[in-house]
Amino acid sequence: MRMSEETANCTICRQPLGENGRCQHCDVETTHTWTIQDWRPLLTLSLLIVMGFSFTSLIVSSYSDKRSALAAEYTAAGIRTMDEWTRGARKNPAPAVDEFEAALVYSHDDFQIQLKLTDALMATGAASEALGQLRALRDQHPGNALVNLKLARLEGRRQHVDEALRYYQNALEGEWPDHTDPVPQRAGVLFEAAEFLLSLGRHKEVEGALRSLAAVLPNSPPEQEKLASLYLRNGNTGRALDIYREQLTIDAKDTTALLGAAQATLAGGSYTAARRYVEEVKPGSAESRELLAKLDRMEALDPFARSATGRIRTERTLAAFRIAAERLAGCGVPFAQALVGNVGSPASANEKDPEQWSGFAKWAEQLSPMMNERKLRGRDDVIESTMRFAFQAEMAAQKDCGNPTQDDEALLFLARERMGVNQ
Amino acid sequence: MKPHSPRSRESLLKLMATPVRRKYFETLRRMLLPQGLISIREEQFFLVLAIAIGILAGFCVVIFRIAIGAARLLLLGGSMHPGFPRVVLVPALMGLAIAVAAVRFFPRVRGSGVNQTKGALYIYDGYISAETVVSKFILSALSIGSGQSLGPEDPALQIGAGLASALGRWLKLSKERLRLMAPVGAAAGLAAAFNAPITAVLFVIEEVIGRWSAGILGAVVLSAISSVVVERWFLGNEPLFRIPQYRLDHAGELIAYAILGVVGGVASLVFVKTIKNLRPWLRRQPQWSQYLQPGVAGLLIGFIAIWYPQVMGAGYEWIDLAMHNRFPWEVLGILAGLKLLATALSFATGTPGGLFAPVLFMGAMLGGSVAMLEQQLFPSIAVPVGAYALVGMGALFAGILRAPMTSVFMILEVSGNYSIILPVIICNTISYVISRSFQEVPLFDLLSRQDGLDLPSLEESPEQAILVVEDAMHPILGRALLGDEAIASARNIVASTQDAHFLVSLGDGRWSVLSRETLLDPASDQGAPVRALVRVRVPRLYQDQSLDVALRFMKDRPMLPVVHRGNLDLLMGVVSVEDILRAYRKAGLAEPERAEVS
Repeated sequence: MRMSEETANCTICRQPLGENGRCQHCDVETTHTWTIQDWRPLLTLSLLIVMGFSFTSLIVSSYSDKRSALAAEYTAAGIRTMDEWTRGARKNPAPAVDEFEAALVYSHDDFQIQLKLTDALMATGAASEALGQLRALRDQHPGNALVNLKLARLEGRRQHVDEALRYYQNALEGEWPDHTDPVPQRAGVLFEAAEFLLSLGRHKEVEGALRSLAAVLPNSPPEQEKLASLYLRNGNTGRALDIYREQLTIDAKDTTALLGAAQATLAGGSYTAARRYVEEVKPGSAESRELLAKLDRMEALDPFARSATGRIRTERTLAAFRIAAERLAGCGVPFAQALVGNVGSPASANEKDPEQWSGFAKWAEQLSPMMNERKLRGRDDVIESTMRFAFQAEMAAQKDCGNPTQDDEALLFLARERMGVNQ
Repeated sequence: MKPHSPRSRESLLKLMATPVRRKYFETLRRMLLPQGLISIREEQFFLVLAIAIGILAGFCVVIFRIAIGAARLLLLGGSMHPGFPRVVLVPALMGLAIAVAAVRFFPRVRGSGVNQTKGALYIYDGYISAETVVSKFILSALSIGSGQSLGPEDPALQIGAGLASALGRWLKLSKERLRLMAPVGAAAGLAAAFNAPITAVLFVIEEVIGRWSAGILGAVVLSAISSVVVERWFLGNEPLFRIPQYRLDHAGELIAYAILGVVGGVASLVFVKTIKNLRPWLRRQPQWSQYLQPGVAGLLIGFIAIWYPQVMGAGYEWIDLAMHNRFPWEVLGILAGLKLLATALSFATGTPGGLFAPVLFMGAMLGGSVAMLEQQLFPSIAVPVGAYALVGMGALFAGILRAPMTSVFMILEVSGNYSIILPVIICNTISYVISRSFQEVPLFDLLSRQDGLDLPSLEESPEQAILVVEDAMHPILGRALLGDEAIASARNIVASTQDAHFLVSLGDGRWSVLSRETLLDPASDQGAPVRALVRVRVPRLYQDQSLDVALRFMKDRPMLPVVHRGNLDLLMGVVSVEDILRAYRKAGLAEPERAEVS
């Protein structure tokens, strides 16, 4: 290293330096002037940097490999734990949380591991922790459909309806992983959102969601039949039946479509038409047999069936009255308990407000003297009135009195057929 | 390119060997690389060197961080919950081994490294031995990796400073430059360890240099940035913890943050007082116990870690989880308390390692805990746990390390969110004021005094007014002589006063001073201009320049002109040595000793 021979100015007063390298005015020490001829230190420094870079690269690379291996190992362990828990081979999924957390220490930003961690947290019941994790993920990937979908499910489970619906919407509009086809994914989200809305009884919004679904769904049977079943559950039996019929034009033997059409027809109020669809299902599945049994029960209780003779009509009317009275009695309605003759039964502990049932009591008081075969014979007006009483009693009991029996259910279907769905 | 044949190489050498040809090649070399064409002064070279230091320190810190991770993997395994008895035995046994090395062979590696670097700057002319750097690297990596409750930032700071010091010595830099190498390297080391250049620069200014110095700022910034670039090149851009989004919805939320400031201030006091009392007490114990102390600290930390492994090491991964609602408030509070205890034990026993990360850990846990508690007490207020954890870090940093500027900018830099600045400033100020009110001496100054050193401190430096030329100058009676006026005319002015010296304006801002004898010398030509008598020029001063600069210029000159910055020939007054001394006496700053604060 050597100093330049050329003169320079003082750094403080900017006046020329003297020959001895000191400022004549302010007496500060002269600074070195480094030139390109001072190549040795510069070259050594450059070599040091190159060597440092190479060595650090080597170390970082081998350490990164080790970390990746550890992340993979812990992720695999977490997935194994979750699988065992899902299969029921393990009672507690908590180790999976630790394993995914450890995996994240070694692969800080791995999106998939973070998603798996939220699943593990949900499995352990740590909903608020899972929510925190998901929100953090959403902060990082606001447009990610998967994260929004998981958030929607979690918020739905927490009964935070607005948030859940917002996240479902975000999931619909969000981005799906590159290797997946977004159309079926979005359809899946719409199905899930429709199910969620259905569970909340928000029928109009379900209709909207289903219309959106119908616009994007391919015309393949599984999707269309799933759509029809949702229409059916939402009470739009006409639209459901249309879809099932459309599917039957493609494949007349499609069991799902036949059963769906039967249920739609039944819900629409025609068990005779429903029977025709069910009878087409060959060989009869458990579902079709169950549906047929239901139809048989309905027929056995229907006094208005064309094939019913006068005696059968009176028998069916008496049976309907008895079933309705038993349903009310089981529900703790006092007058009904008197009608079926089990006053003081355990059910009476749940006695209902008498005023709510006073109309039914008066009605039953008028009908009960007529409830024998002789007096009912030829009295279509009384049969009509008795069946209306039975239908309305069943419908009232449906709201307050728990699950119906199969006979009650049959009466309810008949009520829909006779009185319309919306009553 | 066709290689030279032996015949052609021989002929080339022959050609160069002849004197005429040699001269020709020398001329060519001078033309291509003329002396001074690409030349840089030492201060410019210092900036280039700062970049090189940043790069090299970046390499060192990257490897240091990997060494900590590898030590952790090797000693405690990959799980976040190391099993028993490993979790107890490893920190205890490693503590014993580290104590033997630190007490017997490398006593300078004990502690965080901040004060040692400051000591190198102010006491040892920037000297930090290579042995200290290497041993700090190894022992800190082992202590943090084995679970002692300490962080990597402060050791990285010392490693960077040591590397810079070694480079400076090798390049035979001037003493003044060599002294400045330590903070330049320190900033590089800290920046790479914390992945935050602004924080590193401010921390080094507040805690290492201890005063604002424009002269070194450029080099410190350059080294910090270059080291962060290196660190991000190798370890990626990912932050130490994921920062949740934050928005201040209502000004009323600031009250809730103020509560965190109070809690943070009290926690800071507890920590500093614990260190203040525990460290000297441990040092007073018999010499043989010094070998056991880090091991016992490790044993206690190990026992805590059976139930709360979060207290081990730096704990950034746990900060990340705390910021995302992963612990209930009770657990967060317990973790803050246990970390305080564990860090006090590790640090007070002299185990090598830093305070930066544990302070942030305590702050995050405390902030999260206060947030969750407030959430339960006042459900109507929006209390984002992540933001509270972040602000809590700043509060503890301001309260414990007493670096207020760093604490604010650190949170801004780490969060990248300007919206958080109001809560941070409020919370940090409250915490800082509480800490300062009940603990006058900042932690690092306290530690250096316990070690028998008195190093300058930004917080403790008395607020002195800087005296300027204007405070000392006096107006000139009459006028200055002009260089072009005749000596005879000048003599009339000289004769009218008793002054011994006279200022001469030579035009274009140039001035000189002539003595009465020179002007009245009968041998001089009466008709000649005054300029003819001038032998040397004198520098000019401005009213706003410091008296320090004026004194440097003064030398043995009787007076100096003070001119207007807008008109260099307009004389505003004159200054003499007596004037300067009078000004200092008047300001009461002539006393040499510094006011003792504690």
